[in-house]
Amino acid sequence: MYHFSKIFAIAMIVFLTGCSIGGEKKIKIFSIEKPREKLNYDMPTPLQMEEIYWHIITSENAEEVFKKLEEAGIDPVLFGITDKDYQVLARNFAQIRQKLQETNNLLEEYQKYYETESNGDKSNQ
Amino acid sequence: MIFTVLLITGIAGAGMYVMKLRADNATLKANQFKLETAITEQNKVLEQQKEDFTAILESNKKLNTLINTFKKDLQDLDKRFTKKNRDIGKLALERTKAIERIVNGGGKNAARCIELASGAEHTEAELKATLKSEINPECPALANPNYVPFQ
Repeated sequence: MYHFSKIFAIAMIVFLTGCSIGGEKKIKIFSIEKPREKLNYDMPTPLQMEEIYWHIITSENAEEVFKKLEEAGIDPVLFGITDKDYQVLARNFAQIRQKLQETNNLLEEYQKYYETESNGDKSNQ
Repeated sequence: MIFTVLLITGIAGAGMYVMKLRADNATLKANQFKLETAITEQNKVLEQQKEDFTAILESNKKLNTLINTFKKDLQDLDKRFTKKNRDIGKLALERTKAIERIVNGGGKNAARCIELASGAEHTEAELKATLKSEINPECPALANPNYVPFQ
């Protein structure tokens, strides 16, 4: 009877605790944030422009200009534009330069926004 | 005997209940910690967002200023060709050598502007220029950051 009581008590404990003494081991899932690799391109190399010389030819000085070219050993041929086209060319160059500046500026702003230390997490987006 | 069994069972049950309570308490403490961490993280995110908006506004302002400068530079260029009904063709006929010199000077300055726009470093003279005679008239805002034009 005494043994029966012992077994009964143990059975009751197991029954009440639902075998939860040892329990299942919990699976731990880690999520480690790995920052996106930086692109790290160097900024484009600045241009180095070569110098050109503009000759102004009028009906009066044309002969003199060609003679000077021949004397300097340069082919006496010129590729010309009118005064109006010269203005257009100047404007076109100004626009190209502005576009270049705008693009470089945008690139710098993007770099500053996404790659500065305080905004490090943005590079993951 | 039955009383003994009941007593043992009761004590064991109570022990298990206390263990369960302790486990619950640990879970609640962990939950509380997680909630507090979440709040801190949310605050950090909000602060970061605030900083981001400020940075975006600042960047937009900078780009708008730059685009306005571009417009002004183009207007100035047009003015140089047409100021007071100026006809560069006629001027070139009358003062060929002088205009040739001016055109070549302008071409050199324009080329330097392109170099600077592509990211070239400023020279000391460009940085120091504060007078109209010292600046690069093709792109003063870009070439001479310390020059303040007379309004």
